[in-house]
Amino acid sequence: MTTPDLTVTVGGLTLANPVLAASGTFGYGLDLDDLCPPERLGGIVTKGLSPEPRAGAPMPRIAETACGMLNAIGLENIGVEAFCREKLPVLRERGVTVIVNVFGASSGQYRDVIERCEAAGGIAGYELNVSCPNVSSGGMEFGHDPALLEELTRLCRDATVKPLWVKLSPNAPDLIATAQAAAAGGADALSLINTLRGMAIDPYRRRPELARTFGGLSGPAVMPVALRMVYEVHRALPGVPLVGLGGIETGLDAVRFMLAGASAVQVGTATFRRPDAMLRIIEELEAYCRETKTSRVASLTGALEEI
Amino acid sequence: MGRRNVSARLAGRIDLTADTFSLRLQLDEPVDRPVPGQFVMIRPAGGSQPFWRRAFSVAGFGTDGDGGWLDLMIKIAGPGTRAWHELPTGAAVEVLGPLGSGFPVEAVHGRLALVAGGIGLPPLLYAIGELERRGVAWDLYLGAPAAPALVGADICAERAKAGRGRLIIATDDGSRGERGVVTEVLERHIEAGERVDALWSCGPMPMLAALAAVAERTNVEAYVALEERMACGLGVCLGCIVPAAGGGHLRVCREGPVVPASRIDWSRM
Ligand SMILES: Cc1cc2nc3c(=O)[nH]c(=O)nc-3n(C[C@H](O)[C@H](O)[C@H](O)COP(=O)(O)OP(=O)(O)OC[C@H]3O[C@@H](n4cnc5c(N)ncnc54)[C@H](O)[C@@H]3O)c2cc1C
Ligand SMILES: Cc1cc2nc3c(=O)[nH]c(=O)nc-3n(C[C@H](O)[C@H](O)[C@H](O)COP(=O)(O)O)c2cc1C
Repeated sequence: MTTPDLTVTVGGLTLANPVLAASGTFGYGLDLDDLCPPERLGGIVTKGLSPEPRAGAPMPRIAETACGMLNAIGLENIGVEAFCREKLPVLRERGVTVIVNVFGASSGQYRDVIERCEAAGGIAGYELNVSCPNVSSGGMEFGHDPALLEELTRLCRDATVKPLWVKLSPNAPDLIATAQAAAAGGADALSLINTLRGMAIDPYRRRPELARTFGGLSGPAVMPVALRMVYEVHRALPGVPLVGLGGIETGLDAVRFMLAGASAVQVGTATFRRPDAMLRIIEELEAYCRETKTSRVASLTGALEEI
Repeated sequence: MGRRNVSARLAGRIDLTADTFSLRLQLDEPVDRPVPGQFVMIRPAGGSQPFWRRAFSVAGFGTDGDGGWLDLMIKIAGPGTRAWHELPTGAAVEVLGPLGSGFPVEAVHGRLALVAGGIGLPPLLYAIGELERRGVAWDLYLGAPAAPALVGADICAERAKAGRGRLIIATDDGSRGERGVVTEVLERHIEAGERVDALWSCGPMPMLAALAAVAERTNVEAYVALEERMACGLGVCLGCIVPAAGGGHLRVCREGPVVPASRIDWSRM
């Protein structure tokens, strides 16, 4: 068999392969250059960027759990200005496909980040992290209220013609309603899932393990939930491209997400355990295609057989 | 080469005390010569538990064999370290490293005081080898609550005898060596007029904070090797930060683990 075609298209954006680094687990794209060169990936999603730098949450920020981990980093980041000035020129020169993960405390802040990036140029697309409290509506997360989410998505849509992805929270009360709202607001694709809200307790100190009490669960522990959500959204909105993530560690995990309906996948926590995890996943994906005589990896999207 | 993820084999284990042991990892491929204070993140190959790798300071390094070897010295602190105690010889493991910053070996001069508390000895033991290679004189202050908890005292005594070093043991209850917390014992020696041109230290955070205070009072430059819980060890998860003097913070895995004590804001620790 000839070499399998690994290219995929996600809502108008063509990627050399379907594996992207997930936000918050690969720095600003160059931090692990020596162990996992970013140009070998389908793309990278940056750490979430806000208009101003943020110091993030107090310590402890992370806890180990069964087959996963909790994090409450508090969206620490260097701010969009420093990113555009210090990181973007190198990424651009290297030919890395860069998706900027955007968040803010108000919809205006989301828009600010996008506008600043548009002015800098060289960005392939945006991903909105909507698991973020909106200060002007009493701290309700953007992603938890379909009306708010649609409005936010539309505002960002108006700020760019580049691909716009909305990253859905698994904690939203109504997954399908939020997916519909993001699509109605003009999203080109939906990423799912962000981390699941959880907590860990130290039995001897009789305290929560994290300074913020709650944190976001990631890693293989969340994969069944993530797969179910990708599957459900794909069934409800078959025309909307999806980017699947949550616990992916192997090429076969990536295949599972694509069968459930994802056009591409992201890998987060696996990189912490093996810094070259994504390179191996790409190799394993290619091996799977050879083994199953799949000439185009894109043909896996939604190709799940019903029971 | 920089940091690499290489496969290795558990070549041997030696029990040191009731809850500490040393491991030798025979590497399949070479890694850069670690600077004392640098660490590795290790996990059993193919293992799914514990979820994260574990961080250990390099306690020894050699280049013989395929890719050379690394020695680690480990105190059993929970399930992860216990699993390393039980891992059979010959088991395949993954080693990521060397990681982080090390002690300023290139810049040493005069007489160096090394201060170890708890399981703080490993990076300093490795440092002793590098100091000996450079002909630098050292005093090692080794502290523990009581004699049975002293780790590596015999190894250190041998090193001192064979080289340019001196071992000063401090126990809180006076059951061996001088009585007192190791940082107090150190300060007494400095006040008695002993020459100390720089301090390198590793141990629990409260001890390092006390050491930073001694360094400030006696006007000696100090470097500390920090420890924090870490998921990646590579600088991307932002889980292992400590407050920096003058605001902001440092990542223990990248800017650290070894930093000048004056770079830490101990009051916000
Ligand atoms: C840079 C660095 C160098 C280290 N060098 C050594 C060494 O040479 N010898 C040695 O015995 N220990 C060393 N440690 C500490 C060692 O990593 C922990 O004791 C070990 O991770 C505990 O794992 P556990 O599963 O046995 O304990 P548990 O308490 O069950 O671990 C629970 C979680 O907390 C983390 N954790 C617990 N204690 C520590 C700690 N003190 N530092 C960092 N993470 C911790 C674990 O990694 C794990 O994620 C070092 C730590 C760091 C960060
Ligand atoms: C330490 C850490 C930091 C993260 N930071 C962000 C972030 O800034 N923005 C975001 O949208 N998601 C963030 N995430 C969520 C991941 O991008 C991803 O959605 C989640 O971890 C599930 O995928 P995984 O199981 O492959 O890690 C973070 C996750 C972790 C573990």
